Amino acid sequence: MTRPANIIRKGSNELAMQRLAGLMVTPAWLLIFLVFALPIFGAIYLSFRNEMLGSFTVPRFIGFENYENAFADPRFWESIWVTLVIMGLGLIIQLPLGIGLALLMERPLRGIKAIRTVLIVPMLLTPVAVGLIWRFMFDTDLGVINWFLGHAFTSTPNWLGGRWPAIFAVTIVDSWQSIPFVMLISLAALAGLPKGPREAAAIDGANALQIFVHVTLPSLVPVLLVILMIRIIDAFKLFDIIFIVTQRGGPGTATQTLGMLTYNTGFTFFQTSRAAALGILLVILVSPIYVLWRRAQRSGI
Amino acid sequence: MRTTPEQFRSLKAKARHRKLLGDAVAYVLLGIAVLIALFPIFWTISTSIKQRVDTFVIPPKFFSFDPTLKNYAAIFNTAGFGRIYLNTIVITAASTLLCVAVSTLAAYALARSPKFSSRGTLEVSLIMIRAVPAIVLMVPLFQIISTLGLYDNHLTLIVMYAAVNIPFATWLMSSFVEQIPIALEQSAAVDGASRAKTLWYVVLPLMLPGIAATTIFIALLTWNEFLIPVLLAGNSAKTLPVFIAGFISARNLDWGPMAAASSLAIVPIAVLTVIAQKRLVSGLSSGAIKG
Repeated sequence: MTRPANIIRKGSNELAMQRLAGLMVTPAWLLIFLVFALPIFGAIYLSFRNEMLGSFTVPRFIGFENYENAFADPRFWESIWVTLVIMGLGLIIQLPLGIGLALLMERPLRGIKAIRTVLIVPMLLTPVAVGLIWRFMFDTDLGVINWFLGHAFTSTPNWLGGRWPAIFAVTIVDSWQSIPFVMLISLAALAGLPKGPREAAAIDGANALQIFVHVTLPSLVPVLLVILMIRIIDAFKLFDIIFIVTQRGGPGTATQTLGMLTYNTGFTFFQTSRAAALGILLVILVSPIYVLWRRAQRSGI
Repeated sequence: MRTTPEQFRSLKAKARHRKLLGDAVAYVLLGIAVLIALFPIFWTISTSIKQRVDTFVIPPKFFSFDPTLKNYAAIFNTAGFGRIYLNTIVITAASTLLCVAVSTLAAYALARSPKFSSRGTLEVSLIMIRAVPAIVLMVPLFQIISTLGLYDNHLTLIVMYAAVNIPFATWLMSSFVEQIPIALEQSAAVDGASRAKTLWYVVLPLMLPGIAATTIFIALLTWNEFLIPVLLAGNSAKTLPVFIAGFISARNLDWGPMAAASSLAIVPIAVLTVIAQKRLVSGLSSGAIKG
């Protein structure tokens, strides 16, 4: 007879916990509503109108015109290309270097803790300040980078004067700040791997490269996927560095990402509704990532 | 075939040589990495204490120059700089407090209650907010906030910063909550402690290391925030990153004061990162490994 009573008690306890949990997430919901839900619906609403700051015409609904304009605008496609190129270059540079550094730091070297501490410092520095100092170092004639390169090469790039050099400049600054993150996460993942399989492979005569490719790398895949997702999201969000290093996507529109185009449309040209439509397109472009993330979370990575 | 002692010894020596060589290569590569990591910071500080004539010279002056504090004096004499620095500190402190409090509650609920009514939606929202670039939100928010007369308001910035950092803070915190054994709470309940008492005396103290790590992270992110204040702060709520970015629009780039202002932003962070690195590393690692 005690059994049903127990079940009821447990049930009511769980119910109380659920109620408490619901209460505990209320403040988070409130902030999310104010700063996320409200603006997203606001952006959708604006994107179907023709609002402009300082315009004299009365705003009205214009259907999909802002979206049609975006698709017809070569700058829109250019900005998507720029976003993907900076993302791709960033991943190609940051993942191998971050993982490589983590592998080096796995060796029991003297002073490795101090080295790790120093290497993570760039990660959390103010991007605006970081962007400014790199911009100074990238100066074509008087910058320290070209002075350094001048010792090895006869001609040095005009870093912020052309499309590809500027794209590389942005990628370099972003990588300087992001590689520590990739390194840290990889290091934690490596520390969590059992030593056994790698030692066994070494005894069987596998060399370091073989061990890495066939034993270490496969077991790092889940963590690498998490790093990949975070880095892709961050690439879509990359803003401060471009704002400073190439002055909002310059030269011309050479480094204007979709985020930067949205900013320039809304806050340089004050075309609010067009900017809202670009923003919604940006959200649609990012959305496959959160599907991936959900799946990763469900599979318990 | 058996290994003779001589062969064994030579194999051992070979392995030792290979290890020494590997260590040397690792040191060289890590040394290059350390140089690259530190040079821009060194260059910021060194530019900030150079005279104008020493700033733009080829070859660059690395150590042999007459240091000066003129650039710092110029920054501190800029009208309103004191208020800007104070703004940044106050807004960072208030917003971090709000964000960490809200996120700690949410993280506890997410970690401990498998199905409360809004759980699914909350999880989706947290991921979406992390993935959606802030500029998308700023277009409508700028309109809403100017219409409501909340432009250039400290409280607006505090609430906005806190909200955009909630997903990251909750993500970090929940990995810390999950490390606390649930048995402790159960035994406190068995001993007759009320739920409020259990949370306050059992759970909270165990969460403190996690709260500390999250606080440091969120404080740094808030300190660095640029897009929100550049659009929503005028003169009275202006923050340091906006002030620093202001140097770029000047036609004649004045690198000395610019480097001084940058140093004032990044040196405190660099020092804090070094002091708190253990907490930062463990926080980020456990968060990411969990997913």
